[in-house]
Amino acid sequence: MKSYYDRPLLKGPHWGANVVTYLFLGGIMGGLGLISLLSDDRPEPAMKKLRKATRYTAFALAAINPPILISHLGRPERFLNMLRIVKFKSPMSLGVWGLVLYSGAAGANALRELADDGIVPSALRYVAPSATVPIQALLGAFMAGYTGVLISATAIPLWGTGKRHIPAFSVCSGAASASALATLLSTLQGNHEVIPRLERLEMAASALEIVTIADFRKRGGRATAPLFEGRVGKRLRDYTILGGIVVPFVLNAVGGAVRLPKSIDALRSIAASMLTLIGGYVLRESLIEAGKLSANDPQAAFRQPS
Amino acid sequence: MATGFFTDATLCIGCKACEVACKQWNELPSDGFEFTGNSYDNTSQLSGTTWRHVDFVERESFDESGLKTSWSMVSDVCKHCTNAGCLEACPTGAIVRNEFGSVFVQPDICNGCGYCVVSCPFGVIDLIEAVGRGDDAKKYGLATLHDDRLNDRKTAVQATGGVAGKCSLCFDRQRVGMVPACAKACPTESIQFGEIEELHERAKRRVETLQERGVEARLYGADDIGGGIGALNAFFLLTESPEAYNLPVEPVLPSTRQTMGYAAAAAAALTLATIGWAIFRGDS
Ligand code: SF4
Ligand code: SF4
Repeated sequence: MKSYYDRPLLKGPHWGANVVTYLFLGGIMGGLGLISLLSDDRPEPAMKKLRKATRYTAFALAAINPPILISHLGRPERFLNMLRIVKFKSPMSLGVWGLVLYSGAAGANALRELADDGIVPSALRYVAPSATVPIQALLGAFMAGYTGVLISATAIPLWGTGKRHIPAFSVCSGAASASALATLLSTLQGNHEVIPRLERLEMAASALEIVTIADFRKRGGRATAPLFEGRVGKRLRDYTILGGIVVPFVLNAVGGAVRLPKSIDALRSIAASMLTLIGGYVLRESLIEAGKLSANDPQAAFRQPS
Repeated sequence: MATGFFTDATLCIGCKACEVACKQWNELPSDGFEFTGNSYDNTSQLSGTTWRHVDFVERESFDESGLKTSWSMVSDVCKHCTNAGCLEACPTGAIVRNEFGSVFVQPDICNGCGYCVVSCPFGVIDLIEAVGRGDDAKKYGLATLHDDRLNDRKTAVQATGGVAGKCSLCFDRQRVGMVPACAKACPTESIQFGEIEELHERAKRRVETLQERGVEARLYGADDIGGGIGALNAFFLLTESPEAYNLPVEPVLPSTRQTMGYAAAAAAALTLATIGWAIFRGDS
């Protein structure tokens, strides 16, 4: 096969743990927007508790995610350069604006809950219209999806080959991780009533996720090898596919089918949630790491995926 | 009027004068020394601090008279694409198209996010790491520069948190009517600078001449190269297939994948929202 001394044709990403974390949390923020919408305006106290937990958490994540992104820019004040323009052709630009708007909606929803809890004057409830709930859910879907589009709309062969799959499983992984996080929080709060529902949502998201990943692998050929083979492939298989999807799915299914003693059931659900979260992080990490390997393979870059 | 480069592999003698002239004019630091053993190419690739790179395609063959070595050299550079992946991806608007039709990075606006790096289908643009003092300075061979000189740098190499760097088509020189440094330094006119249309004419004539002489010559990027990229303002005359020079045969403009990506994400989100609605509110 022809090449130029096997030298890489493309330049790989200069992204490390901070960008991985940013993408991972972006996915969770998306999922939390959905759960906040699903639990909105329900009379049951358990749902109310869940609603508050997701809104406070979403707002907290919206507050810590920008600093994480900024930490990778070297000189933090340069983040402001992103706010000079809105560029529809750049997922990086759209995503930053999505994050800003999401933070606004999440802030409004958190504020309403604070007013509801009597932590801030209850009149402040009216500052934030309830329309911000579906708005946060919509922006959340965008947040979770754009983290996939951001990487698939690049020249890296692995990522480009996944132009449909990567955005789709990013959304699923975000929803599964958000359900897992909400399950953890509910367990801590002793809000056991909502857990079966959260676990069912998590199972649905994980199922869709694993089907999409499997399809990606099947269609990929040479371009997807860096993600599914070698060191990265092993990590993805152990931590995401088995540890992060299959095992939690089984644990959740057992929890749904069998009545376990309370303490054992709590352990089961905590384990399933933690594994799902770890799997979600490793998925993003593997995508970035495999992207670096993919950039080094000139054969995959001579004819680029359409 | 757009200007560009026509780089002709049949005229290149591999002297690397273009690489040196570019480094000097643009005040680009050394990348350190690496001995690759790949013919005479120890530069290896374009980078944030190397804006011209001479490819050495070396071939060995045997016939009755013994071992024969043939070379084809060509000076690679940023293509200044009609539709440029780097420009579209840049979230700060640091990358612009200037009045000469070239793709230009404004280092004072770039924030070092690195998104352009993964968005160039030709692997051209790259981040220049922070250049400060201490180890960085050593790495880039800047240790001997005076502090005030280091601080005053108007080029991409600043004491910043890292910026993107690539060929500017000598924007500064063009503005005062000068020819880009590499074209000026090239002793064989393998690198020709001029207005695109005129360069196209010249390139076509050159291909005809070469073909008459029995040389296999083809243009790369003079016409639409496909994948949504369009023609390249810096195009090439090659004697081997593009892969031999580490050029993509079918490059694709990354932004063309976005619509599909957003659609797939929306479909997944809608599916999950529907399932979620059934799980959480199906009973109400
Ligand atoms: S070759 Fe790469 S860096 Fe140069 S203009 Fe095209 S996309 Fe940008
Ligand atoms: S690194 Fe600089 S030039 Fe490249 S996309 Fe980011 S802001 Fe734009």
